[in-house]
Amino acid sequence: MTGLRLETGGTWIDRSRPIRFTFDGREVDGFAGDTVTSALLASGERAGFVSPLQGRSRGVMTAGVEEPNAFVEISAPWFEPIRPATMVTLVDGLVVQSRPGVGVLPESSVVARPARHGHRHVEVLVIGAGAAGRAAATEAAARGGRVLLVDEHHMVLEPPTGVTTWANTTASGIYDDGYVLCYQRDGALDVIHHVRADKVVLAAGAHERPLAFVDNDRPGVMLAAAARAYLERFGVLVGHHVVVFSTNHAGHETAEALAAVGATVTVIDPSPRGGRATDRLQAAGIEVHGNAQVVATNGAPALREVTILEADGHRSTVSADVLAVSGGWNPAVQLARGIGVGLAYDEAKACFVHDGTGPSWLQVVGAAAGDVPAAYPIWVIDDGDDARKYVEPQRDQTVADVAYAVAGGLTSAEHVKRATYIGTTIDQGRTSGVLTAEVVNRLLGWAPGAQGPTNARPPYTPIPFSALAGVDSGSILLDPIRVTPIHDWHDEHGAVYENVGQWKRPRYFPRAGEDMHAAVARECRAVRTEVGLLDASTLGKIDVCGPDSGVFLDRMYTNRMSNLSVGSIRYGLMLGLDGMVFDDGVAMRLAEDRYIVTTTTGGAAPVLDRFEEWLQTEWTDLQVYCTSVTEQWSVVAVGGPKAREVIAAAGTDIDLDDEAFAFMRLRSGTVAGVPVRMCRISFTGELSYELHVSPWQAQHVWESVMAAGEPFGITPYGTEAMHVLRAEKGYVIVGQETDGTQTPEDLGMAWIVNPGKGDFVGKRSLVRSDNLREGRKQLVGLLAEDPAFVLPEGTQIIETAEIPDTPVHMLGWITSSYPSGAMGRSIALALVEGGHARRGATVFAAAGDRTIACTVTNSIFYDPEGAKRDG
Amino acid sequence: MAEQRSPFAGRTAELDALEAIEVPFLTQIDVRCAPEIAQRLGFPLVANTVAGDMARGVLWLGPDEWLVVGLSGGAATMVAELEAALDGTHHAVVDVSQNRAVIELRGRDRHEVLASGCSLDLDPRGGWAPGVCAQTLFAHAPVILQELDGATRVFMRPSFAHYLVDRLSVAR
Repeated sequence: MTGLRLETGGTWIDRSRPIRFTFDGREVDGFAGDTVTSALLASGERAGFVSPLQGRSRGVMTAGVEEPNAFVEISAPWFEPIRPATMVTLVDGLVVQSRPGVGVLPESSVVARPARHGHRHVEVLVIGAGAAGRAAATEAAARGGRVLLVDEHHMVLEPPTGVTTWANTTASGIYDDGYVLCYQRDGALDVIHHVRADKVVLAAGAHERPLAFVDNDRPGVMLAAAARAYLERFGVLVGHHVVVFSTNHAGHETAEALAAVGATVTVIDPSPRGGRATDRLQAAGIEVHGNAQVVATNGAPALREVTILEADGHRSTVSADVLAVSGGWNPAVQLARGIGVGLAYDEAKACFVHDGTGPSWLQVVGAAAGDVPAAYPIWVIDDGDDARKYVEPQRDQTVADVAYAVAGGLTSAEHVKRATYIGTTIDQGRTSGVLTAEVVNRLLGWAPGAQGPTNARPPYTPIPFSALAGVDSGSILLDPIRVTPIHDWHDEHGAVYENVGQWKRPRYFPRAGEDMHAAVARECRAVRTEVGLLDASTLGKIDVCGPDSGVFLDRMYTNRMSNLSVGSIRYGLMLGLDGMVFDDGVAMRLAEDRYIVTTTTGGAAPVLDRFEEWLQTEWTDLQVYCTSVTEQWSVVAVGGPKAREVIAAAGTDIDLDDEAFAFMRLRSGTVAGVPVRMCRISFTGELSYELHVSPWQAQHVWESVMAAGEPFGITPYGTEAMHVLRAEKGYVIVGQETDGTQTPEDLGMAWIVNPGKGDFVGKRSLVRSDNLREGRKQLVGLLAEDPAFVLPEGTQIIETAEIPDTPVHMLGWITSSYPSGAMGRSIALALVEGGHARRGATVFAAAGDRTIACTVTNSIFYDPEGAKRDG
Repeated sequence: MAEQRSPFAGRTAELDALEAIEVPFLTQIDVRCAPEIAQRLGFPLVANTVAGDMARGVLWLGPDEWLVVGLSGGAATMVAELEAALDGTHHAVVDVSQNRAVIELRGRDRHEVLASGCSLDLDPRGGWAPGVCAQTLFAHAPVILQELDGATRVFMRPSFAHYLVDRLSVAR
């Protein structure tokens, strides 16, 4: 292999496993364990990248997540729009393209990397597998318990024994009580680990920062620690002629390390110190310029020479292919700051360290805790044009840009960030944050450290949304699909489904050649003239038990439930504290101390929660227990003039005679040999029986009733026909006629409110002036002038035939609208301002750019006297 | 008596692949009463623990709620026994046998599979061992988990059965 790879060395690479990859269309050779940047540098590539706004040529600056220049799109073996090239490990078949700091999604769809999630509990989580992290993990393991060590790099050398160690794993955020989200890249798979730790040790190390001098972004200018990392980890000597510009001894050590493998090294140290450090470097054959600065770079595009300014004003140039810069060290405390740890300025180290605040379960150790070299406090080199001293390469922002923001009156680093976009980058300002804050401090004449860098929040480094979505991404698993015990039958009979919350309910059962309109019309006709069958299993059901059950239900519903006789059923409305309709259902009294109440399909869980809330927090004196029995009972609803005959034909021991079994009563017995609780309830206006049966036998009951009903023309029907049938009767659906702003009076249901029975939830609000005022929107029926026209649901109602100029006063809107077979025309329900008083009047529905005249009617269209109820 | 139909009908291949079996038609009775009374019946008072045996196990679900789990087919008898034992006290005894379907995961990796969607510590080193139970979520579905010797029972609303089989399958 040619280029800058040394014959030996490189603790992260496996020289026995060459890997060839493609970078910007050309093939580059590397080894297993290489990153894209280490392989590029080894191949002799010195630039390779371009800045996003100014199109300046850029080279690799770092060896980690703080990289602001070198970004690639991964095109194969999987697709990712952008990653720091420093963090992309070589794999077989890797194809990458350089990207100027911004990823691009292809126009064709891409397949996201597959992702999984997992939860893990440990006693100690250590973040960062450097020396401090490994020591902390070893110590924790010795104390016993589960210890997890994570590191964002792909290699962890000398993993401690007795410790679970994950490479390629970034602690993305530290949250309350030791909850840490970790993002692991496992080849082509993304894994999100939800780690919960009793103790979290942050050993994330420190990031070296650059210095701001003219043309400090030229390819070949990199951080000193990066030069050393490429040497030690990958056996790559980044240049044969290296100038090290360093404020601290870590930079000097880098100089020694590079010189030791044969590079010609010159050290520029801006501090006035000299003495032993200088002697030692000179002994290693390194030329040292103390009390000097780098003031310019030359080369097109890559670095060829460096201009040095001595304290005495003397300028000279040094040939160099790499300028390794160390402006000092920023402890990597971003994760700790996210959980509330503050910063304090350390003068000797010229950096911000954590201030000792924060949760007791979090410990910061090593370089992250401030164990970094002392540094000479310098950030900006005065000499030269500020507009060429780059502070944030990834946004092409310079000292001059920061000065422009400050001249505009901004003093806070947070404001400057938002004015310049410095730090809004993929690397989240790792190299630019402290530098920018100090540039601002200096421009304002403030002391170093007067203000620190902008705040840090999770994620520590970017995470793909697809990883957060996990197996739910693009999958039916996103939201559970709940099905009833009769679902297989519905499937076999061609049901078209409607999503009701998480439930799949049959919407209609089309026959060959039928569209929805035809199928629903047929299903409605069957229920009105013969008999239909509905799967109502999804109704919420709550068992309410205890001596105070009646009192309790009186307080939850607007009407009285305590005087319901055993074996009877009563419809009820439930209000919010604001007096608005919250849910509806029926209460069935099974015994003196026991009811079952039903809720809407979507209301099952909220209603039970509300019951428990009132019982546990307000009425702890009431002896009532509530138990969800929604899925204990499946419900087969048989409705229509022939319902009684069909159930008799299916075989029952319950006397179905109207005298013996009246409307709103319940009976227990069997149907088709299966125990059943039978209720005479009707949501269609027709004679109707609900069969509450065991889900284990629900399909058997359904099939038995279907078979028995065949001679009677029994027809299975779905929710759409149910909606039409109930609308013909003017029955509201909570959530369709209501949106949380309707009182019972608004719905024309004042009859169900019993203010004389004592207190109930929402009662007080019903007499609020706003709930009593004239002109509230009230539920009415609407009949379009053209009986064949079905008004679109949601259509707004206005007063005039012409749509006036804006603002248009809206009287209300259509809540339900259907073609009604029974009425031989279209019908609609609507909420209309002062609607009850408008009955007989004409209003206009604004459908698109035209209006349709509608007559306001009573909301009950079909059989208003209820003659059909008993068959 | 009509044949009983399980919500896992047609999913045995997936259950096999999960090293899971259905435990069909178990008797399950939800009991609500004061803890002092429950103690007299031998119900566990320590949160998330189970007392009894396979013929009659009692799972702690809350400070005043337990799930009594028996073998298949004994619901009426068990309700009568519990009603008799609790006679004269404020209580609720509700047959919920059909309200939850039950499978047992028997694979060695079952805790890892569950950990893909459950935030509880399901590691024996964290105290998850035979005799414990918990009401929790697996992915988007509410479940009760009960640890047995070499198996983990998952109680779920039957309407979630297909979802849970699908979701458990992708986790393996």
